[in-house]
Amino acid sequence: MQINWIGLYTMFRREVQRTLRVVIQTLVAPVISAALYLFIFGTVIGSKIQDFAGVPYISFVFPGVLMLSIINASFASASSALYFMRFTKGIEEVLIAPFSYLEMLVGFVGSAVTRSLMVSGLILLTGVLFGAVSLVNPLAFVFYIAAIAAIFAMLGIIVALWAESFEQLQVLNTFLITPLTYLGGVFYSITFLPDLAATITRFNPFFYFADGVRSSMIGYSEANSTLGFFIITGLVVFLAIVVTQLFKRGWKIRS
Amino acid sequence: MSQTPMLEITNLVKIYGAGKKQVTAVDNISLSVPRGSFFGLLGPNGAGKSTTIHCITGISQPTSGQILIDGVDVVAEYKTARTKVGLSPQEFNVDIFATPEQLMDYMGGYYAIPKAERVLRIEELINRFDLQAHRNVKFQKLSGGLKRRAMLGRALIHTPDLLILDEPTAGVDVEQRHDLWEYLKQLNESGKTIILTSHYLEEIQYLCNDIAVINHGRIVAEGSKAEFMKDGKSIEQRYLEIIRQDDKSATATA
Repeated sequence: MQINWIGLYTMFRREVQRTLRVVIQTLVAPVISAALYLFIFGTVIGSKIQDFAGVPYISFVFPGVLMLSIINASFASASSALYFMRFTKGIEEVLIAPFSYLEMLVGFVGSAVTRSLMVSGLILLTGVLFGAVSLVNPLAFVFYIAAIAAIFAMLGIIVALWAESFEQLQVLNTFLITPLTYLGGVFYSITFLPDLAATITRFNPFFYFADGVRSSMIGYSEANSTLGFFIITGLVVFLAIVVTQLFKRGWKIRS
Repeated sequence: MSQTPMLEITNLVKIYGAGKKQVTAVDNISLSVPRGSFFGLLGPNGAGKSTTIHCITGISQPTSGQILIDGVDVVAEYKTARTKVGLSPQEFNVDIFATPEQLMDYMGGYYAIPKAERVLRIEELINRFDLQAHRNVKFQKLSGGLKRRAMLGRALIHTPDLLILDEPTAGVDVEQRHDLWEYLKQLNESGKTIILTSHYLEEIQYLCNDIAVINHGRIVAEGSKAEFMKDGKSIEQRYLEIIRQDDKSATATA
């Protein structure tokens, strides 16, 4: 059977309308957070730090701020949308509609990626105002942004399916995503770390996310970029398979 | 006209849970709904009506058995099967912050109806269900009757061959209910197959021409309305006889 393009577009359109319905929470808050990070780390502290990796500190730190916002937007969008649909049984609208399991994956992930792209567009504009944006490899930049947004959308879907309360919805974010993001070299170079900590950081996948975005923006990389590419691509493929199988089994959505 | 039944259920079983918590909600049901029928599915609360409907529409996965809609298997060819069914469920399974117009628009989009066609269809349904003044009001702000009408509009947006109405008139006032009955009658007369569950048995008696009764997950009676009403009994009287007799048998067996 043909791909349900109109259905998929409707899912994206619905998420955009949902995003605009709560614009302060979904768009304004991440931009204010990003602007504060840029002001504090870039303007206040950054002015006391000499250029790093050939660029001002604010340009070094901006990719991490952008990645942090994309992760939060994508995870929050996917997890809250699907959990709310489970809670109100609105998920049944999707279950009875002619979507394949792969289309459900594309619909939910694409919707979350759409929202995180809206957020990242606004943060890029904010970064331009701070003079923090450069782009040495636009193709790689688009790949990393889209792949990272997709990874966290799929994690958000898994958490939304697993969670039985609003509190559980926050568990992964609180205990895994936030610590690994902050410890993944978002605001600093791992050359600042003792050897052992730097070695441990290389086992943190978030380090490769931040490094990928940074290398595409300022051309500076501390990771093996081939390894990073395979880690990110591997995660996208692995999570896509997991989520599609969960939809196929109807875990927590189909009784 | 095709002789394939609009709905053919064969040995459907639906079991929830596992081990000691296992509950058989639907126990080996077989049912055939002819094309063009107005089919009443009756039974007490928890009898298995909604579970059967959920298995037909894809909300639940059958444990075993086969369901064919217009000859299309709802598991093996689920995408095609789902285009043939419209559901107005018992519970309001909607985004409560969406408006009736948005609900129809989103659902029409999910069913791949192009925008121009969707806009016309929404207008038709908004007018048909007298929702003009409420088309942009959030679902949560609507009265019970208006919510039901919005759900019906959503169920009909893709002009399905098989319309399943699970308690469609619960909370609807008498005048609106009679108006709705006339509309459903017209829909059925125009060729649409309709399955109706309702606790208002006068509604079943007025609208349906074929009836099945489910109790404890099994079909305990099935036939035409005329067969149910033989001996001058109303559907309600006959229904109560069937259920009481089956409950008595079940207690005796236990």
